[in-house]
Amino acid sequence: MARITLEHVTKTFGSTTALNDIDLDVHDKEFFVLFGPAGAGKTTMLKTIAGVEFPDRGLVRIDDRIVNLVDPSERNVSMVFENYALYPHMTVFDNIASPMRSPLHRRDEEHITREVARVADLMGIDALLNRLPSQLSNGQRQRTALGRCLVRKPTVFLMDEPLAHLDAKLRHLMRTELKAMQSQFDTTTIYVTHDYMEALSLGDRIAILNNGRFEQIGTGDEIYYTPVSEFVARLVGEPEINIVDAQVTSGSGGKPAIAIASGGERRLFPIPDDVAPTLDGERNVRMGIRGINLSYRFDPADGYMPGTVYNLEPIGNKSILTIKIDDTTYQAVAPNDLDVELDSPVFIRPDPGAMLFFRKSDGVFLARHDQRHFLGENN
Amino acid sequence: MRESAVSFFFRNLFLVFWALFALFPLFWMVLLSFKSDAEMFSTTFIFTPTLDNYINVLLHTNYFRCFLDNLIVSGGAVILSTLVGVPAAYALARFNFPGKEDLAFQILSFKFAPEMLVVLPLIIIYNRIGLYDTYLGLIWVYQLITMPLLVWVLRGYFEDIPVEVEQAAQLDGYKWHQIFWKILLPLIRPGLVAAALLSFIFAWNSFTFPLLLSGIKIIPVTVEALRYIGTDTIRYGQMAVAATVTALPEVVLALVIQKHLVRGLSFGAVKG
Repeated sequence: MARITLEHVTKTFGSTTALNDIDLDVHDKEFFVLFGPAGAGKTTMLKTIAGVEFPDRGLVRIDDRIVNLVDPSERNVSMVFENYALYPHMTVFDNIASPMRSPLHRRDEEHITREVARVADLMGIDALLNRLPSQLSNGQRQRTALGRCLVRKPTVFLMDEPLAHLDAKLRHLMRTELKAMQSQFDTTTIYVTHDYMEALSLGDRIAILNNGRFEQIGTGDEIYYTPVSEFVARLVGEPEINIVDAQVTSGSGGKPAIAIASGGERRLFPIPDDVAPTLDGERNVRMGIRGINLSYRFDPADGYMPGTVYNLEPIGNKSILTIKIDDTTYQAVAPNDLDVELDSPVFIRPDPGAMLFFRKSDGVFLARHDQRHFLGENN
Repeated sequence: MRESAVSFFFRNLFLVFWALFALFPLFWMVLLSFKSDAEMFSTTFIFTPTLDNYINVLLHTNYFRCFLDNLIVSGGAVILSTLVGVPAAYALARFNFPGKEDLAFQILSFKFAPEMLVVLPLIIIYNRIGLYDTYLGLIWVYQLITMPLLVWVLRGYFEDIPVEVEQAAQLDGYKWHQIFWKILLPLIRPGLVAAALLSFIFAWNSFTFPLLLSGIKIIPVTVEALRYIGTDTIRYGQMAVAATVTALPEVVLALVIQKHLVRGLSFGAVKG
C-alpha cells in the first residue's frame, strides 16, 4: 500500500537526459503503466523509484515520505528487471528464496519452502527449481525473475517488461494472472511495457513517456480515443493510425468540411458540429483516422476516394489492407477471408465521427467528435 | 569431426616432442641435483646418484630461511594485491570518473616497464625512507608485479556481472558488504584464484627487485642461488638442488588448480 510521487525529477547520463523534470503521482493500489518507445526513460524512472539510481534533481516520495536518501533495501519495493538480473550461481529455488533470506526480510526455512513452491507453481516453473539460470530458456528466466519479485509482499511492485520474452499464449495467461494478483494484493504496481495491448489491458492509468517527458497520462480509453499528439496516436493501435494533411474549408451549404487530396482533386468530408468551433481559425490541419474506422469497397460510390490495393497482410484474426492513393498509403482493417488482387481499384471513406484532428505545425491534438465522452469525468 | 589415424599420429608425435623439449631442462636440473661434482659435466645418463648436494644445501646452509623469506614476501605481496586490487578492479569496472582509462592503463603499464628502469631510483628512495631490506619494502615493490594482472583480470569479471544483479540484491534487502560476499565474490572466484596464483608465481620467481632492494637480512631463494657461484668454482649440483626445491611449491600449486587456471583466465564470469 503506497502512493508514489515524483516531483521535478531530472536524471541525466552524460549528455543524455533520461528524465526531464518529471512530475508523477501514482495512487495507492493503482496499476500504473509506463509506455513508450525504447530509450524513453521508462527503466530509469523505475530504477529511480527503486532507489538504485539517484535523481540529479527532484524528490521521490513513497507514502509522502521523501526517500531520496533511503537505501533501496529499506524502501520495501520489489522489482523485476528487464534483463532478469538472476543470480547466476544460485539455483532457481535460491533465487526466488533470496529476498526471504536477506537480513531484512528473513523468514524461517519452512516458510521459504512453502512460499517458493507456491510462486513456482503460479509461474509454472516448479519442475525447474534445481536448475541454474544458465540452464533455463529466456522465458523461464523471466518467470523466475517474476517469481522472485512476487514472493514478497512489498509496498510497491516495479515491473520492467516482465512478460516481454514469454510466448504469446503464456503472456496472455500471465497478463490475466497479474491483473488478478494485483487486485488481490492491494499493492501499488508500476509496470513498464512497450506492448500497447498490455498497456491497455492492465493499466488503470497509462503514462506515455517520450524523451524523458510525459506526453500524456490517462486511462486506456483517453489515450486511445483522444491522444494528445500525433506521437501518442501513432504509438497506440494496430495497424498504425493513418495521418494525412488536410484543409479546413466550407462544403455544401456553407457547412465546415475537411478536404483531403485524392487523385489530383480534393474530397470533402463534413466536420462534426461539435468539432467545428475548435477547428475554426485553423486552415491546414492533420487528420488521423484509425484503420478500423476506414470503410472500403470495390465499386465507386459517393463520398469514397479511389485508390489501389497496395498490400494485404493477414495477421491472425484479421487482415490489414494497405491502400495507395497518389503517394499516400492508408491502412484499413479487413476480415480475414477477404480475397483481392494487388493493384486492383478500391474505394475508401474515413468515418468523420472518428476523425482525430491535429495542428499541422506541431502535431498537437485539436479535437474529435464526442470528445467529452472519452475524456470521462476527469476533465 | 573424425580425424584420420595419420593426422592423429602426427599430432600426438608433435605434442610428445614438444613436451620433451619443454620438460628436458627441468629433467636435467633434477638430474644434476643428484650428481657429484666429479660427474657433473658427463653427458651420459649413467652416474652414481648421491644425496650429498641435498644434505649440503638443506642442512648446512640457511636455505630454509631464504625459502621462508620468499614465502613471506610473495605471499604478502599477493594478499596485499588482493585486498587493494579487488576494490580497484570493481571501481574501474563500475564507476565512471575522469581519467579512468588512463589510470587503468597506468596500472597495466607497470607490467611493461623493465624492472631495471625503476629499481635504480628505488634503491635511493628506499635507503632514504628506511624500506631497504625490509619485508614491507619488498612486498610494496612486488605490487608492480602482482597488481596489474589481478586488477585487469578481475575488472573483466566485474564488467561481466550486470549491474542489475547487484541492484536486485539491494532490493532483496542486502547491504553492500553482504552483496559482496554473497553475490560478487562467488562470481569472480575463478578469476581471483587464477590471477592470484599466477601473481604468486611471478612474485616467487622475481629476481631483480630482491637482488637490488634486499640481500642482507632478507634473502629470497632466487637471490640465494647466486651464492653457489663462487669466485673459483660454480657449484652446479647445489644450485640445482636449490632450484628444484624452489620450483616445488609452484609445481604443486599449479597442478592442484590447473583447471581453475585455464578456465579462470579464459572464461568470463557469467553468461546469461
